[in-house]
Formats: sequence, structure tokens, C-alpha cells
Amino acid sequence: MNLEFTEDQAVLVSSVENILDKYAELPTANRRDYHYYARDLDQALVANGFLDAVSSMGSLEAVLVVEAVSKIAPVVEIATSTLVAPHISAEELPRPLAIVSGDLSQAQRYLSVAKAALLDTGDDILLIDIRPGDVEAVDTIFAYPFGRFTTAPDLSKARSLGAAAVGPFRQWRQVALAAEAIGAMRSAVDFTVDYVKQRQMFGHALGLFQAVQHRLAQCHQATCAAQYLTYRAGWSGDPLDAVLAATYAQSHMPKLWFDLHQFNGAMGVTNEHKLHFWTYRLRALQSEMGGANEGALQAAERVWGKVA
Amino acid sequence: MELAWAQEHDQYRERLRAILARELPSNWMQDYAHGRGTQGEIAFSRTFCPKLAAEGLLIPHWPKEYGGQDGDAWEHFILSEEMWTWGDPRGPQYMNVNWIGPTLMKFGSPAQKEEHLTRIANGSVIWCQGFSEPQAGTDLAALRTRATRTNHGYVINGSKIWTSYANGSDWCFLLTRTSDERRAISVFLVPMDTPGIEVFAIPGLVEEGHIHEVFFKDVEVPFSALVGEEGMGWEVVTHALSLERVGIPRYHLGRLAMDAAIGKLKREDRYGDPLMRAAAGRIIAKLEAARMLTYLVVDQRAKQQPANAMTNIARVSNAEAVTDTLNFLMEYAPGCLTSRDDPYLTLFYRYAITNTIASGAYELQLNMIAQRALNLPRERRQ
Repeated sequence: MNLEFTEDQAVLVSSVENILDKYAELPTANRRDYHYYARDLDQALVANGFLDAVSSMGSLEAVLVVEAVSKIAPVVEIATSTLVAPHISAEELPRPLAIVSGDLSQAQRYLSVAKAALLDTGDDILLIDIRPGDVEAVDTIFAYPFGRFTTAPDLSKARSLGAAAVGPFRQWRQVALAAEAIGAMRSAVDFTVDYVKQRQMFGHALGLFQAVQHRLAQCHQATCAAQYLTYRAGWSGDPLDAVLAATYAQSHMPKLWFDLHQFNGAMGVTNEHKLHFWTYRLRALQSEMGGANEGALQAAERVWGKVA
Repeated sequence: MELAWAQEHDQYRERLRAILARELPSNWMQDYAHGRGTQGEIAFSRTFCPKLAAEGLLIPHWPKEYGGQDGDAWEHFILSEEMWTWGDPRGPQYMNVNWIGPTLMKFGSPAQKEEHLTRIANGSVIWCQGFSEPQAGTDLAALRTRATRTNHGYVINGSKIWTSYANGSDWCFLLTRTSDERRAISVFLVPMDTPGIEVFAIPGLVEEGHIHEVFFKDVEVPFSALVGEEGMGWEVVTHALSLERVGIPRYHLGRLAMDAAIGKLKREDRYGDPLMRAAAGRIIAKLEAARMLTYLVVDQRAKQQPANAMTNIARVSNAEAVTDTLNFLMEYAPGCLTSRDDPYLTLFYRYAITNTIASGAYELQLNMIAQRALNLPRERRQ
């Protein structure tokens, strides 16, 4: 057993971080936005082959790429394209890719920027092509682009990826969710730690107080724990590991949201402060796939079996 | 990153399981249910550990020059996981082999090494640790037990509390104060049959015979009992505690408890409750997270990297996961805690109260994470 990155993995992370350095800053015009979709970064990641990480290196490496990209304030749709699509289709799928679920008239994450959407029907995974005019953007404070269909999609024209895609779709969607989450969790914690070192209160840095330190230490612990569960899920390809990673991350999102906003105080309520780019991304992820309780039920079933 | 067990580690685990299956009596868990620290458990340790030693499984992680095999940290940890599956039938001797022996290798005199390491290595001696005092637990440097230098050695007066296995120990690894300066601490190796030592069991929530108070009244020890130099004990004890950086595999114990509890709920046709299953699923996620972070610490140790905040992060993860497991047992399977029909669950429940206190309190671990990982300033103390 070896829990350190290999040399190749370390080089991969370093390479993607080098690209991210150029795009991590929000354009001045978008600094106060609720989200910012970085199309130029998207193109750069594609051009440098990072979206092919699964085929060129492996699923753990794809997790590392998604985690790194999810640390910056701008977003790009990379998790589904990099971690889900290669496991459900031998062909390259159009992207950006949204995943739609539930009531399709409601807002869906990434749908406003997507070229296609994936839908889990229960016994099949459908690929829905999206043309201009099929969707409209939805205003939201969640730090992703959201969109909704202007008219209900014609599912009879959607492409079937087959029943065999259902299991891998659900499994790798959980890994993708967890990989996005650990990047956002890390940045939200780091941002807040920096803030409490500078913010003075009662004549001291806010971060001097043990009441603050302990809760930040718990947030850091939860982030580390989610991180290594997600790495394991990427490495093993085991459905149990996938659901454990997603469940753990989703279970801890409320705590991070509460503690980190408490310590950023009124500043964190404004869009001048960048915290919301990560905390509201976590809020959006918190309820996906049925949330932590649904994941926990799946985990229990995988460990101890179905209810007789 | 490679998360599969190496073939030799799988084989090592299988070998351990075979030996445990052969050596543990069929009623082991029933007897064990009477508690760690009972005379029966200590007596079993005195017969079981020499057998482990003969198999090369008591001190495989020790250097060859002291009778070990230079085994890697992973084997050491697999040994711990497998032993704790059965409540650790090594009993008190896990302390000897994990940190008392290795500490003596670093700080002991040639005579101390000669006298003690051989006996620890062959499994024939029981030690207790004389650390905590009524006013000095997590704040160990506040200890008051004092050793006063005389012409013939030292005279020790004071008391220790909590002291596991003090009722059956041959020796005590004893921390004392040798001057008023806060960290002027000295370590002595003291035979427990020395005149002036009295041991009293304290009834407690943990287990029968586990907690003791030890009184030292004019206890005379020779100069040769001092480990290292007078006043250098803080360095000795810091090293000893660093050897415990991985600690008990609590996630493993929690997983065993959850498996037992769910088995019981299934037998009672209560597995259908979705609230219960969701709670159990969240706990499994926490236990597995604690497992991964603990393995990360073992990996760092295997690579001989210095201890860092990941030790504290792993401890917090284990503490929270085990606490959730305790709460699950109380909410969904309280009957097994009073009927004693499952000795493992009963003992897990009782012993796990120490989970957030022993080996560095939960809050101390959070302090360490804040300072070592987040570089937050240390809060001023009076």
C-alpha cells in the first residue's frame, strides 16, 4: 500500500495547476457574479488533454484533475465529461455535459451551457442533444450555471447508451460529485483560514480564538477525510467506495457551509467576498443524487445487504 | 498511489488469523467480557505472548539487534488490527512492545536494555504506565509526583491515577517531577513490588479492573532506575508518545461493532427501518474515512517520515466515527448493552468512552490540527 502520489500523478497535478494559475482570477466584470463559467479555461483543458485523463492515465488521475479544477472560483463542466462519460460510452460524447434528473421543467446544473444532457431513466441512460433555444439560463445564487428546458425534451429522439451504462453512470456520477466537492471544500476552508488570520476582533486575530480554531480544524479534518475516500473510489472502481465518498462529502457540506460562513461573518454574505463561489457550489451538490441519506441507504445495502 | 494490500501483507494477515484461531480458547470472548485488566486476562497474556514471541509475532517491528525482524510499519499495524479483532489478547503487553521497549532502545542505559528488552521481547513481563495524575492528564507537564535525590538514589512520593493494569504489573514506567520547573520531569523504571507502592482499583464506566490509583509513599529507587538524565524526561515521554501516533485501530473496532449490531437487528427483524439503515450508512462512511486517514499515517511511518498533523486528523476521524457508533448502539440496539448477550458489543460500548479522552483528548487533537495544519496562532494561556 502506498498513499503518496506517484511521480506521474504529481506531475499531472502540477501541470493542471499551472494552467489553472492563468484562469483562477475572476474577470473584473464578473467579480460580483454568483458564478462565472470560464470558457477559455474549458478550451485550455481540452487542448491540453486533461479531459482524457481516464483513458490516458486512469480514473484516479481524472479525480485529481477534477479536484484541482474545482478549487478555483470560476467553474467549467469537467467532472461529468472526465469521470462519467468515459465509463458509459466508448464514443466521445458532446460537451459540456449536463446531468438532468427529476422534474425536467426545473432548473438543472450546467444545462444552460451544455451541448448535451444525460438522463437516468432507471433502466437506461439517455443522451439528449441540446440545440440553441432548447434551454434558457436560470438565475440562481448557487455557484454553477443552471438552465431549464424551454420545452420538454423529446426523449424518443434521445440516444440510448444502454442498460449496461446505468450502473457505471450512477457509480461514476458519485465519484464525480465527490471530486468536485473536495476541491470546493478545500478552497472554502483555505479561504476562511486566511481570513481569520487577518480579521481582527476584540484586539486579536479571529483565528486566535480556540472556539474558531476547533471548528476550522473539524472542517479541515472532514475535507481530508472526503479527499482520501474520493481518491480510493477513483482508484478502486468499487461502487461501495463511490457511494461512501459521495455520502461522506454530502454529509459534511452543511457543517462546512455553517462554520465557514460564521467565521466570514457579514463579509461572507456579500458577493465582494469570494467565499460563496465554493460554499454555494457545495450547497448545489448537497442534494444531488438524493443527498446523503440516499447515499447512506445505498452504502448500508452494499455492506449488509438488502432488506429481506 | 497504490491502495491494494501487498501479497506478503495478505499472507501475513492470514497467518495471524490462523494463529489466533489456534491459540485463543473457544470461550475467549465470554471470558474477555469480564474485562481488560482482570487477573484472568493478565494471566492469559502471560501465556499467550510467549507463544507469539516464539512465532516471531510479538516484536516483528523491532530492530534485529533487539530480537525483532525489522518488520515494516504495515505488518505492525496489521498485527494490531488482527489482535484488536479479539480485544487484543496481548493484554497490557501491547504497551511494552509498542512504546516502552522502543523508548528504552533510544534512551535506556546498557544495563536497562539488557534487563528489560529481553523480557519484553519474550513476552514474560507486564508493565504499566505511570503518567496521569488527578491534576495532570492531557496537561501532563502539570504532574506533581516528585522524586527527590538522596545519597543512594531517589525517594518518590505522590500518586498516579487511571493506570491500566497496575493491579497485575511487574514494572511501572513512571513519570515524576524532579524540580519545580514545569518541564523538569524524569522517568524511572520501578518494580511494582517496591515497598511503599499501593494499588487500589477504582470502579468505573470502562471495565472491571481497568482503572487504578497508585500511591507512592517514600518509595526508594536506585540511580540505575533513572532513564536518561535527570530532568530530561520530557524528551523521553515525547518520544514515547510519538510511537503511539497510530494508536488503536478504532475504525476497525467500530466496524466490528456495526457488523454485530446490524446482525442482531436483522435477527430481530428490525433491519427494515430506513432511518436506522441511513444512520448506519453514514457511520460506515465515517469509519472508512477514518481507516483511510489512519492508513495514511501508517504509510508515513513506513516511509520514516516525521509525524505531522495527519496523526491528529486521523485521531479526530476515529473519535467521531466511534462516537457515532456508540450513539447508534444506544439508539437502535440498547438491549445488547444490558443483557450482555453480545460480549463484544458490551465491551466496545463500555471501553469506547475513552475514545475521545485517552492518548490525547479530542480537543487537544483539534488544537494540534489548528496549529500544525492550518498554521493558526496558539491561544495565549495564563
